Amino acid sequence: MFEAQEVNAEHKDLIHDVAYDFYGRRMATCSSDQFVKVWDQNSEGKWILSSSWKAHSGSVWKVTWAHPEFGQVLATCSFDRTAAIWEEIGNIGPNDRGVRHWVRRANLVDSRTSVTDARFCPRWLGLQLATCSAEGIVRIYEAPDIMNLSQWTLQHEVQCRLPLSCLSWNPTMSKMHPPMLAVGSDDQVAANGGKVFIYEYSENSRRWVKLETIGTITDAVHDIAFSPNLGREYHILAVASKDVRIINLVPVENEETLQTGVTKLDVQTVAQFDDHSSLVWRVCWNLTGTVLSSSGDDGLVRLFKMNYINSWKPVAVLKGDTPQTKDSEQRTTSSSSNNGNVISPLSQTARYIKLGTISQPRDVPWH
Amino acid sequence: MEREVKTFVIPNELCKRAGITATWLTVDQLSVRAFEKRNIKLPDAPSNFLSDTPSSIFHLRQEVILFHPILRKLVNESCGVFIAVQNLIVNKNPADYKVELFKMSRQYRSIIRACLENLQDDLSEAKGQEKEQLQNYITIFYSVECIWHLCEILFVDIIPGNLVLSQLLEWIRFHFPKHERNAATMLASESVNLETHQDYWNTVFGSLLQGRVKIVRALLRPHSSADHPTFKLVDQVLRAMPICSGVNGTSINEFNIQWRHWTMDVQSKIDAKLFSSEKHLDLIMRLVVGEEKAWIEIQDHCEAWYEFLAGWMFYTEPTAKSFELGQYAKRSITKMRVANNLKHLDRVILAAMEFDIFQVIKEIQHMTENGWFVAHLSDLLFHSSRLTSLEKEVPNFSAEKLRESFILEYGITLMGHKSLWPVGLSYLDHCTHDGNQVIALLLPRIPLDNEAKTLKIIREAKKRDLNDVVQCICKAQGMLSLKRGRIGNALCWALKSQDGPFTSYLADKFLQDYIKNGKLGSTDLLDNLGSCMLVSDRLIFLGKYFEFHKLYQTQKYKEAANLLISLLASKIIPKYFWYVLLIDAIPLLESEELLFSSNDTFTIMHCAEQKEDLPELKDKLNILKLSAARNLARALTYEAQNE
Amino acid sequence: MVASNLGTLKPLSPLTSTIVGLNRMMMVPVYLVIEDWFESIVKHLVPSWLYEVVGLMGANMFLDTDNFVSSSSSGSVYLMRTCQPYNDQIHLKTTTEWKNIHKFDNGEESPCTTLAVYEKNDIITVGEDGCINLLNSQSQRILRKIDNADSCSIHCVIFLKHNEILTSNLRGQMKIWDLRSQNDQPTNNFMLSGDQVTPTCLTYHPTQRHLLITGDDLGALTTWDLRHNTYPINVLNAHEGAISEIQFHPDQPDHLFSCSSAGEIWHWSTKAKTGSSLMPESDPNVWLAHDNVKNKLEVFTLMPTLGKSINTLDLSRNKVICGCDNEAIYLINGVTLC
Repeated sequence: MFEAQEVNAEHKDLIHDVAYDFYGRRMATCSSDQFVKVWDQNSEGKWILSSSWKAHSGSVWKVTWAHPEFGQVLATCSFDRTAAIWEEIGNIGPNDRGVRHWVRRANLVDSRTSVTDARFCPRWLGLQLATCSAEGIVRIYEAPDIMNLSQWTLQHEVQCRLPLSCLSWNPTMSKMHPPMLAVGSDDQVAANGGKVFIYEYSENSRRWVKLETIGTITDAVHDIAFSPNLGREYHILAVASKDVRIINLVPVENEETLQTGVTKLDVQTVAQFDDHSSLVWRVCWNLTGTVLSSSGDDGLVRLFKMNYINSWKPVAVLKGDTPQTKDSEQRTTSSSSNNGNVISPLSQTARYIKLGTISQPRDVPWH
Repeated sequence: MEREVKTFVIPNELCKRAGITATWLTVDQLSVRAFEKRNIKLPDAPSNFLSDTPSSIFHLRQEVILFHPILRKLVNESCGVFIAVQNLIVNKNPADYKVELFKMSRQYRSIIRACLENLQDDLSEAKGQEKEQLQNYITIFYSVECIWHLCEILFVDIIPGNLVLSQLLEWIRFHFPKHERNAATMLASESVNLETHQDYWNTVFGSLLQGRVKIVRALLRPHSSADHPTFKLVDQVLRAMPICSGVNGTSINEFNIQWRHWTMDVQSKIDAKLFSSEKHLDLIMRLVVGEEKAWIEIQDHCEAWYEFLAGWMFYTEPTAKSFELGQYAKRSITKMRVANNLKHLDRVILAAMEFDIFQVIKEIQHMTENGWFVAHLSDLLFHSSRLTSLEKEVPNFSAEKLRESFILEYGITLMGHKSLWPVGLSYLDHCTHDGNQVIALLLPRIPLDNEAKTLKIIREAKKRDLNDVVQCICKAQGMLSLKRGRIGNALCWALKSQDGPFTSYLADKFLQDYIKNGKLGSTDLLDNLGSCMLVSDRLIFLGKYFEFHKLYQTQKYKEAANLLISLLASKIIPKYFWYVLLIDAIPLLESEELLFSSNDTFTIMHCAEQKEDLPELKDKLNILKLSAARNLARALTYEAQNE
Repeated sequence: MVASNLGTLKPLSPLTSTIVGLNRMMMVPVYLVIEDWFESIVKHLVPSWLYEVVGLMGANMFLDTDNFVSSSSSGSVYLMRTCQPYNDQIHLKTTTEWKNIHKFDNGEESPCTTLAVYEKNDIITVGEDGCINLLNSQSQRILRKIDNADSCSIHCVIFLKHNEILTSNLRGQMKIWDLRSQNDQPTNNFMLSGDQVTPTCLTYHPTQRHLLITGDDLGALTTWDLRHNTYPINVLNAHEGAISEIQFHPDQPDHLFSCSSAGEIWHWSTKAKTGSSLMPESDPNVWLAHDNVKNKLEVFTLMPTLGKSINTLDLSRNKVICGCDNEAIYLINGVTLC
């Protein structure tokens, strides 16, 4: 059973991306209205808008948080061909106590086309940002002094030759594995070959080398995500393409890999779901990598769960539907109390509604 | 394992029109919003959904009933038993702990019972929605208790000779206590014509079906016609009913012979119509000899097929073995004609009686108590070696993985709660495969609400040797202090984790603040750095520079001068701070008392020459050179005189 | 706080294995707050002797039989009154509220870490903002505020005398403050140890107030004689895990009680004196002995360990009560005190 709390996001257009900080207590949203907004959850569980600013001069595609040990830091990327690093500044002083705002620490302007994704690397690799763009280049930026966020150097440029739509860092928490990135292209031409590329940073050559092009996926890829790793020896990648794919990347050790020091991967497709019966646009893992959510052209969110013998099954579906009158009335009252001047303690408390369920006609009861 | 795929509805028009997407935010929360399925190659333009109605974000969370205050007690107490079970396994060999495991199982059950009682207590005061909620919890945990009890009998307890009946009756008596309660009230009333009580015959038959023959006889005695010969005869017959005393072959054979004799005797009395004058008594007699028609007549008295089963077995198959239970269960279901009407609880009970443990576990996952039951029961069954045996039967099955997957999931659920997370840790600790990784993943994500909590999280991380996690938490807490303008406290956290780079960064901040406003902050801290300043060169420098200030302020110029020289000679001066040190030298050089030897002065002059390009030094360089030259002259004269 | 009535409290029902309940002698029974907005601040609200059952709440101290002060992680302090029970429900009423008296410079709320009371009226609160507040139960005003009293978070505070308090911070620095003095500087300061050990609790000897015992993050008990406070008299490595609370028995100071995050609760008592009783010892208090303290003390475990942190304890006559991370409160009866 699920219960839901509604937050009016106050964007003038649809939200392209929502990102939560490490603790799940802060939320950043971005939209075609070129604004980025930051929300804080108060101690009663309610989300309060704390900052809102025009961040770019085009649609803001993605927003992402850096680990809190680097402070309160966001990265955004946009149609305006730039990516930006933002830091929250709290004013300390008797007069403007409590006034906080976000300042642009860096503007990364190397791309000549729309920057489609930007992601911070895992914490133990320091402060690096990977971006990818429609022109087919992955860029890795680094803040050499993690305490000085205004200095970012472009460390690597990786040519992929196909328009790129998404990227994901491998979060494997081990110093044994070299840093790894997966990149996806939404190129529509199947004849151009595989649309997912796996790169690894080679300490020897000091550059990013392509380990693998996943040849089994030749349709446009809209999103990819590495699963959090719980000490497995292989990596799991979810791909949103014409269907949902779950792919295991198993490092193979042989004489060749030992000699070159370059990992070789065995690519295994472990699950393929066409439940959406249409294009898949987003995939997202839960914190422990046991549940995958996907969003498709059918307008639904589907949840898939891994069982104890590592096989995947669909477990739930979420669907938007016209609210019943009773609910919408309640919502109007709660939003009007937000606009009112007097904030009663009640309106500071998060209100949850129970979600209704419907049984799908095509579902055959299991029993 | 399979589950039904349920569809949940997000009540929002925009979500319906545009379609939705989801992002996870915490262990058990998912955020859902309307989104545009946009191809990156399209020109940048407002979406088709641009409108006056702003878009909303829905934060979905799983409803965890275990977080209800009453159920939290169940969570906490069962954790104690769970840990005891794990300790038991570690310390003893399997042969020894069978009996102990049975005791643990009973402890779990007594916790469920206590929880049910608490729920009942609160139910009586509750109203409206709360009442409904409590009622729902009670239903869930009654089922849990009932299934657990049966599983305990069949899979955990060691039944002598596999003669399952007496345990089965005990189970039925426990979960259908109505008849016992009614009988007790009736007998206590000391009434002489008990049959006028509306539940009288119901209670008599109920007790008969539960094998409580003595109570049946006691209930018949206060009947107004108890002195009637039929009544006397029935009492006599029931008193003569043989009881199975031993478990070995001979005593069972003996019992079977006695039983056969007794039933033959009763049957002949029935055939002789000795009871026909009293239809209830006649039915009792026909039941005890197992007459099919009689058992069909009695079906309506039974609330459930298993109540029927226990009674039926008691009078027809008193020496049935556990492994035969499944077939009798099926027959009871057929007799009761409920095969098409089995509810969830019925299915689990049937599966248990058929010894289909795999099916039992499959079914109890659907009990909506957030995995408490399946985690604890499968752990218990695993340690009773009941799951391992399934590995041969079910393809791809791993008992250990199954157990761990349930415990892991349960532990993760608890990790999401603001005060139950330490309980969650106890479960994750006993997941040998993935537990530690999950802890390393989730522990640093617990929000740092206050330092007492931070210290507690750090202790848990240290206990598990998760040094990386410790460092990460200290750093995050340090950054938090910094953001709050508490740089001294931030430094303290950096020192706690022995984090060199972070310490240096903070020391830099102190020095830069000094350059900016001429004051060193957090002097109480700098004054007491002690040996921990060794973490970073920058901090050593800061500590020494603070010492220099102190000496200067207390007018210990000679010591101050010596310290300054040793600092200049060291290699730990930050670039941006050189000029400060050199300017600091000027008043000392100019001091009336001679503070620097010629060698010292050479050091200063040498440094000044090297750093003369520093822009900050520009206007002071001449003064510095002049003072140094003057001091050198004084020093050389003095040294020459004193040689 | 808008409402003055904090809502209804319901008694915590007994646990299967332990006794929890009304204890007249302790004045107020154990309660569990289960409803209303206040829940987020105070999960388990328990009177004076119980502190931090779930870690959300700060400290509670009783001023007298009916009034107690409570601190919160949002930096506010409340003076509360327990109202006469009717039926089995007891009401709490906030009589005075000092809102957000602990605050960081960037405007964020600062947790009020702990507080101390002197006699019936004087209250000292300290917080992570490094600030000390002197309050009086009869006044809504803050009588004295020492901003930036410490560069680090202050974690413990006790009254030494009416006008003198002792604080200790995150890194084990102890400071003594004269509340009469107008300058915001401590009169004395010293370190718990050189290794960044965080003190977790402080107590003084009931009859010899200059004898101070601190418990720390690493499980050690350190004894100080405040007449010469540069270094400790002795250090006892005692518990596994951090010491959560230590208390001398108020009437029988030969007995000390301590509990720890590893779930231990211990009773320390002085061994029966050996040797001639005619020879009066120079200092009869064993805690003041420089060496061999361990040999002069006996330690009893009051409860089998539960594997969960015991966060607080309090005692009265021969009863000891403690609050544990498993959200339960345990009452131990009949502690031997001779």
